[in-house]
Amino acid sequence: MVTVADTPLDGRCPDGNIASRWDQRKRDLKLVAPNNKRKYTVIVVGTGLAGGSAAASLAELGYNVLSFCIQDSPRRAHSIAAQGGINAAKNYQNDGDSVWRLFYDTVKGGEWRARESNVYRLATLSTSIIDQCVAQGVPFAREYGGTLANRSFGGAQVSRTFYCGGQTGQQLLLGAYQAMMRQVSGGGIKLFTRREMLDLVVVDGIARGIVTRDLVTGKYETFVSDAVVLCTGGYGNAYYLSTMAKTCNVTAAWRCHKRGAYFANPCFTQIHPTCIPVSGDHQSKLTLMSESLRNDGRVWVPKTKGDTRSPDQIPEDERDYYLERRYPSYGNLAPRDVSSRAAKERCDAGFGVGQSGMSVYLDFSKAIKEDGESVIREKYGNLFHMYERITDENPYKVPMRIYPAVHYTMGGLWVDYNLQSNLPGLYVLGEANFSDHGANRLGASALMQGLADGYFVIPYTVGDHIATRKVKPITADRPEFHDALESAKSRTTAILNVNGTHSTEHFHRALGKIMWDHVGMARNEKGLLHAIEQIKTLREQFWHDVKVVGSGETLNQNLEHAGRVADFLEFAELLARDALHRDESCGGHFREEHQTDEGECDRNDADFSYVAAWQFKGVGTDSILHKEPLTFVDAPFGVRSYK
Amino acid sequence: MTDSTAQCKRGLLGCLGLNWFFRLLSSSIGQKFVMGVTGLLLCGFLVTHLAGNLLLFAGAKPFNEYAHALHSQWELVAVAELGLVVLFLAHVYLAVTTTIGNYRARREFYVLKQSKVPGRIIGANTWMFASGSVVLGFVILHLIDLRMGLRRSLHYFPDPEAFEAPFHNTMAALSDPISRVVYFVGAIILGVHLSHGFASAFQSLGLNHPKYTPLIKIIGKIFGVIIAIGFASIVVFVPGMWR
Amino acid sequence: MNHAASKNLNLTLKIWRQAGPKQAGGLKTYQVSGISTDMSFLEMLDVLNEQLIASGEEPVAFDHDCREGICGTCGVVINGQAHGPDSGTTTCQLHMRRFKDGDTIVIEPWLAKAFPIVRDLIVDRSAFDRIIQAGGFVSVNTGNAPEANTTLVPHHVQQDAMSAAACIGCGACVASCKNASAMLFVSAKVSHLASIPQGQGERSKRVLNMVATMDAEHFGNCTNTGECEAACPAKINLTNIAQLNREYLKASLFSKE
Repeated sequence: MVTVADTPLDGRCPDGNIASRWDQRKRDLKLVAPNNKRKYTVIVVGTGLAGGSAAASLAELGYNVLSFCIQDSPRRAHSIAAQGGINAAKNYQNDGDSVWRLFYDTVKGGEWRARESNVYRLATLSTSIIDQCVAQGVPFAREYGGTLANRSFGGAQVSRTFYCGGQTGQQLLLGAYQAMMRQVSGGGIKLFTRREMLDLVVVDGIARGIVTRDLVTGKYETFVSDAVVLCTGGYGNAYYLSTMAKTCNVTAAWRCHKRGAYFANPCFTQIHPTCIPVSGDHQSKLTLMSESLRNDGRVWVPKTKGDTRSPDQIPEDERDYYLERRYPSYGNLAPRDVSSRAAKERCDAGFGVGQSGMSVYLDFSKAIKEDGESVIREKYGNLFHMYERITDENPYKVPMRIYPAVHYTMGGLWVDYNLQSNLPGLYVLGEANFSDHGANRLGASALMQGLADGYFVIPYTVGDHIATRKVKPITADRPEFHDALESAKSRTTAILNVNGTHSTEHFHRALGKIMWDHVGMARNEKGLLHAIEQIKTLREQFWHDVKVVGSGETLNQNLEHAGRVADFLEFAELLARDALHRDESCGGHFREEHQTDEGECDRNDADFSYVAAWQFKGVGTDSILHKEPLTFVDAPFGVRSYK
Repeated sequence: MTDSTAQCKRGLLGCLGLNWFFRLLSSSIGQKFVMGVTGLLLCGFLVTHLAGNLLLFAGAKPFNEYAHALHSQWELVAVAELGLVVLFLAHVYLAVTTTIGNYRARREFYVLKQSKVPGRIIGANTWMFASGSVVLGFVILHLIDLRMGLRRSLHYFPDPEAFEAPFHNTMAALSDPISRVVYFVGAIILGVHLSHGFASAFQSLGLNHPKYTPLIKIIGKIFGVIIAIGFASIVVFVPGMWR
Repeated sequence: MNHAASKNLNLTLKIWRQAGPKQAGGLKTYQVSGISTDMSFLEMLDVLNEQLIASGEEPVAFDHDCREGICGTCGVVINGQAHGPDSGTTTCQLHMRRFKDGDTIVIEPWLAKAFPIVRDLIVDRSAFDRIIQAGGFVSVNTGNAPEANTTLVPHHVQQDAMSAAACIGCGACVASCKNASAMLFVSAKVSHLASIPQGQGERSKRVLNMVATMDAEHFGNCTNTGECEAACPAKINLTNIAQLNREYLKASLFSKE
């Protein structure tokens, strides 16, 4: 049984007309005078779209910013890998888009499990993001006359996605990175690369600093600040195989959770429908093929079970374009969770293609015939090239083979409307928080959220914390810093001292298999209970049997990885427990017990229209559930149909 | 006033408002620019030099007439020679300093190194300093032979001011087989140097354009070949023609 | 129609091992077997590292992150070629089908004075960050921006800017250049921002400062050999270096900077 807290959690959203709530909040937020800002230090952990834009914007305002990243340069954060685009309600295409429509699409796309006020603010800010990025010199695609171009993405019937070829995330990140570098040279940002955050320091109930490990020297350091802004991305690597970069991890968020920050909706994980299928046991990560490909690509499987003919031998009338068949109005642009489950359904039913039968075709022959190869090459050239390098097949000639893979995590640390967690002074931005996407994120919305949080929300809200609480200067001599440092050190030492027989990789893969098999695209009570037991056992084995070679005083990638896997092993249990407790199907969380006759999600708004925010009570001990009720007035509950 | 006083503290160039010029010349790109400009101007000299020397095919009289006509403009020749010396020394000096700088920047060398340029086995362009050094050696020899007249073993014309002297001395310099081989090799290596250097100079000057660069590259190769064949043909054919 | 079925390879690896920046390094030989031709190059190194951990030896340290060719973190010199034999390809996207059974593969880190070795195959590329700090940006504070469509950028200009902006900052250009020159990297950012309207305000200052920093970081000069272009996984064109030269000369001779 889950222990539920007595008082509901309050997101502290403003009241009144949804369209003016952010204005009202900005009016109410206290300000820090310009000449006082430089007296305050803000720590920003992570340098992706959220962290990079936050660090740059806060430094521009005059705060002393300490920026940390795990990579050798801020430019390498995993936002860089986002391919397809970024949504904005500019309505440049004159096709009926508006802030309200982007808001509605996002709430609907997330199956009514996101906070209305947050989503409306996100839709409003989306247009400013495009303005800001263009001013920075981000080379968005253009029409011949020089105006900005758009394309369509899943879950929307308007063209509102701005893009830079297949490298939108890269270009947006470089824009934020360059803004950051400008502040580094001006002295507003102090940059710490190859540093991993290992703990949060809480003094008198307020987040006041962090503990890091220098990944080159192995040295532990503490940093004091007046606010901590966490922008450390998602936890998809709990599944081992995902489209995440190898260093993506839950450690920073999880250690904050252990210090008291609530973790919200961890079971909302996104499985992306168009990834390159697994080719063997050696696979170390999965590669996404942008959703934008579904603008021109058609998804199909043979109509006959176990049809082993090569795709060009299968005539048109023997092909099942199952997305077009099941969802005639959205067709191949059905949202990610829907498309992923449809692919799984076909493959499980025996219609899958490829050696393992675990993939479906994404076919461009029609688009190539209609528009010509050069048009397709200009739109997707780099993606086609990447596909060919990985699979050794030419997608201009043979249909791509794709299969769903873990891609994004909608859950994250709980934050209020100001993006502040329940721990005062700790702000969480971007994928690391839970706030805007509900149970499923629409394509091209992650970049939008990261940048909205970093450029346009945190610069206002962090000042309010500093001004309202009148945080006092402290030094790292406080015992809380010492304790946090020692606890981080001792965890690393403990890992080194196990000296077992199996590598970190072994445990990570084993965890990934449990997660994918039982907490993946389709979940049920029995499987989840089984998974929880298996995770516990694996965690115990890890602490008795992991083998890490080398020392903690040098660069030791094996040790870094072990620390992250140790945290995943604790976190994964919470993810599974959240999935078990949410006894409904919605968005990326599909419980087999709750489906319609057609195999769609059967949502339960009466019982589960809330944010599940978990309070840590010890590893292996049941967490306490805090519920933040969700109400929907401007985008009232509806059936999420893409038919 | 205060501005220029402040600048004067930064030395003579500062006083003259030429800090920017110093910055340009001491920068990597500025040095490449100087390399390119001096190289192209030296190419211009090579064209006139070859044109004059091709008169050797016409025989002693035309060549001697040309030489005397040229030398009668001694003021111009002096200025031109000074200019050539400056261009040449600048070109050589920068070649040496950038090569040392580049060597230091590389510092460590791979155990194994292969080019990724399609069709390139060992980078032909990595030989610019080597070919340049050979050309430098050859130019020094050439000046000793025919500008200063210092090679003892050659039978120079007794009176250096005489009408017959230029042709006679040129033939003397090419009289023995070893000299001919050296002059021949010098011409060929010069051509190799130019075949990369010509087009490279345009790139260093920032002149790269999809419409013209392919043409410039071809012209560079042809230019190298013409200069090499032009000078080499003199070495090969002229001594036999006028024995 | 489908690709050739995967095979297993036995390989000899000669890998640069160096415990730290100040320690001496050298090539060490390892044997790996059962390497599937479907593996990526880094997955092959993963196999080696698992093998080393099992035998109690410290695994080979190598930089990597996204493993899909965009983050620019990975990069080693494979048999003398930066990122290995394929053009337009990062190390993580190089696949083992490119190699034959019984091959010997020499793996070295990027070598350049400006990229000191951190450990094994990992080098310090922070000089690139400092070059960008010197001016690789447009000075526009958050909130200052005008409506996006008030800045018109013709399609072909955007295309040129995009192909320069595609640089992933991996450092293969430096690694492959006999002079360890960073001109291709610097020119990509200079060209990107010089070609679009937003970059005009700081056009002169940017190129002067970025080149000054590039020189101060001890990168070598360009001798137009084109090795960088051939090694570049993002296919940044040599024309960018010409544009860099042009921008620098223009700024030196005609701007007030």
